[in-house]
Amino acid sequence: MLMVFMLTILSIVTFLLFNAVPTDPARLTCGKTCSPATIEANRIRLGLDQPLISQYLEWIKGIFAGRTYGSGTATFNCDAPCLGYSFRNGEQVTDMILTSLPVTIYLAIGAFVLWMVGGISTGIYAARKKGKWQDRAIMGATLVGYSLPVFFIGILMLIFVVVRWNILPYPSYVGPNVDTLQFLQTMILPWISLAILYAAYYTRLTRSQMLDTMSEDYIRTARAKGLPEKTVLRKHALRAGLTPIVTSAGLDLAGLLGGAVITEYIFGLPGLGRLAIGAVTEYDLPTITATTLVAATFIIVANIVVDLLYAAIDPRVRLQ
Amino acid sequence: MNKTTSIRFGVGVASVALLLSACSSKSDNNSQSGTAGGTLYILTQAEQILHLDPQRNYTGEDLAFASGFLNRTLTQYALSKDNNAASQIQADLATDTGTASNGGKTWEFTLRDGVKWEDGKPVTCADVAYGVSRTFATDVITDGPTYAISLLDIPKADGVSEYPGPYKASAAQQALFDKAVACDGNKITFSLGAPTADFNYAVTLSAFAPVRKDADTGEKYDDSVLSNGPYKIASYVKKNKLVLVRNDQWSKDTDPIRPAFPDSIEYVFSIAQPLLTQRLMKDSGKDAMAISPDGVDPTQLAVIFGDAKYTNRRLNDYDPYVRYIAINTKKVPNVKHRQAMLAALNRADLRKIAGGKYAGDDADGVVKPNIGQDYAATGLWDGLLGEAIPDTGNVALAKKLIAESGEKFPNPIVFDYGQSPTADKSASAIVAAMARAGIVVKPNPIEVGAYYGIVLDPAKQGSLSAGGWGPDWSNASTVLPELFTPGGGFNLSQFDDKEFTAESDAAKAIADRAEQATAWQALNVKAAELALVIPTRFGKEQRIQGSMVQGAYIWGPYGSYPYGALSVSQ
Repeated sequence: MLMVFMLTILSIVTFLLFNAVPTDPARLTCGKTCSPATIEANRIRLGLDQPLISQYLEWIKGIFAGRTYGSGTATFNCDAPCLGYSFRNGEQVTDMILTSLPVTIYLAIGAFVLWMVGGISTGIYAARKKGKWQDRAIMGATLVGYSLPVFFIGILMLIFVVVRWNILPYPSYVGPNVDTLQFLQTMILPWISLAILYAAYYTRLTRSQMLDTMSEDYIRTARAKGLPEKTVLRKHALRAGLTPIVTSAGLDLAGLLGGAVITEYIFGLPGLGRLAIGAVTEYDLPTITATTLVAATFIIVANIVVDLLYAAIDPRVRLQ
Repeated sequence: MNKTTSIRFGVGVASVALLLSACSSKSDNNSQSGTAGGTLYILTQAEQILHLDPQRNYTGEDLAFASGFLNRTLTQYALSKDNNAASQIQADLATDTGTASNGGKTWEFTLRDGVKWEDGKPVTCADVAYGVSRTFATDVITDGPTYAISLLDIPKADGVSEYPGPYKASAAQQALFDKAVACDGNKITFSLGAPTADFNYAVTLSAFAPVRKDADTGEKYDDSVLSNGPYKIASYVKKNKLVLVRNDQWSKDTDPIRPAFPDSIEYVFSIAQPLLTQRLMKDSGKDAMAISPDGVDPTQLAVIFGDAKYTNRRLNDYDPYVRYIAINTKKVPNVKHRQAMLAALNRADLRKIAGGKYAGDDADGVVKPNIGQDYAATGLWDGLLGEAIPDTGNVALAKKLIAESGEKFPNPIVFDYGQSPTADKSASAIVAAMARAGIVVKPNPIEVGAYYGIVLDPAKQGSLSAGGWGPDWSNASTVLPELFTPGGGFNLSQFDDKEFTAESDAAKAIADRAEQATAWQALNVKAAELALVIPTRFGKEQRIQGSMVQGAYIWGPYGSYPYGALSVSQ
């Protein structure tokens, strides 16, 4: 219920915000010599002359019941859930999002797996080697990784791995079911670019959580009982330190699902982030509104999932 | 949208004529030389071609691409590196470049026999008429040029045509169009509202290209156009790739313009710019057969233009646009005041901010050399206003002109511009330069998307407005009347002078092209002398292409590659 309320508020704010900008979508529908009369005629035909509240209600109606655009023999239906129609691209926004979303999901999930596995395991290792050269080396490396912006890492990898050394072909996205090898060749660098940034953070986070929990009395008790060190680390130390990691991971993953704008741009991935940026540069208001709403939905859903995971990880927060 | 991801080569059986053309190493079409066969690759940052629908296509590069490969028009420009030669039109779908009568108010073209759509059906007069009619459906056919609406003799009510386009016209409304665009067998006749001596240039725009009614899918036609050119769409996945293969229904015998050398074309989208230029510089594999309509990454300009190894692969030539600052003559009515602003401006600073020597040349008017015969130097900076004005400005002359005006300068002057970091810097430079002559400029940055909506509204426009203009066809009739007459579509100068308008109308009606060019040259000088705009830059663009690409140059009419003439060595 709360989620529906939040999404409703969000949709109103997003819709009003982007329709309040001074850009005139009707002006953008015709060329440079477009007459004011034609602009006005198009404004009426596109329904942009209606009060914002009417436009919003029509938009909401489209999501649940679909709507009709155009007139005469050029009339066409936008089936529910209709998030609008992009007159810049001549496509239903829902279709554009459904085409872009899988790319972003593949990107986000792949990078997520890499950074979680890499970051958490390195963090645990660093915690175990606290104060030793391995710990200092890892902490130094994470500082560097955390400091490098993703566009720098991405471009660097493209120029060296692809252009100079020819280790991988030029990225050209295809779905995994079309050509799995090309998919992997295209996605590996974006995954690594994103993972380097996030893994650095998760290494440091895991290390600090592990060090906190490993100094607790119950860890000393577990060791005194004679439990193997692996069991102590996995079942007692890591699980107790997992809550803040899960919180961060959930929100980071949701953020990426809303579109990894820079990564998608550098590697030419046709995901949600690129769709949003393209919409912004073309003043494609229906697409901007819809991509913002989708990204926000991911964040809200991720928050709920994280809350549910808390209960699974830590029995103390379970509802009776 | 056609979202086939597979790349299909060699679809269909090539005709004998096509096979013959593929086997020859030279073409005699328009004396173009090149190597037949292979694949030409086009790399771009863009996610798609903005519009393939002929009636919606309105950017130089896309027009050149589509006219070279997919959409033929009644007339088309010659494929030539020489601007004067390229600005000459040739018969394309028509048998000649058209016949004017009724004082230039009626134009007649006869279609060639044997031109076919990709499905084998003939291109008919009705197809041309239907294509032209689509422009009137302004709610569906957006973004395209509206010359059909403004030129054809169809009544308008409050500026809106009484013909609403083919999708929802009543029989009576359709009759209005059918009267203005009439077919008689292979002969198509256009009735215009006013004498238009260069209507045969206007029809080079794909807005006047044929579209077959039974293939028209309205807005969706943008993604799956039916070709009558030498290639057809094999697959089109936006953000990924557009693949063209030979159209086996196209015959070289019916096309005097396009040599159509490559066997296929691959337009690859969504390549980020640093990588794009790097790939073309490296010139390996398929990239040696690649071009890019995008400019060179600015960080690589010095390398590409400083290293001799790129000499044969780099281009540095005019883009279609003249950049200028329009002076609102309603707010600055005194010609001496306007001339003073021309004299005070530091044009060198503006060019430096825009990118230095790569940004373009000092402009001396609104007509640019790449238009061909309509350009002649105006002498604006060489004494036209009384003294020479170097590109750093002539402050003494500016002060003198203000003193001679007999009126106080109308300070402050509001300068409208679309906001960007570069434009902000330019605005600061303009403020500083004008201040030297006692002219107070107040910058008015406007959000880019709202900019033209504001400056084209006389009630909201300031005294100075940043502008840029490129001709819609190679005739200054799409420049001077558009910029400086009340009926023009981009009269940021708000200039309304009966004598100038009469001269402009007279020039439009001159049928002799050389004589007309002389008239335009004189009007260009007059506009410069009246200081209706401050011309700042004849814009230039820089490109690099692969070493196996043949026939690459900047084609004057569109400021683009001459797509129809490109080939790849084997």
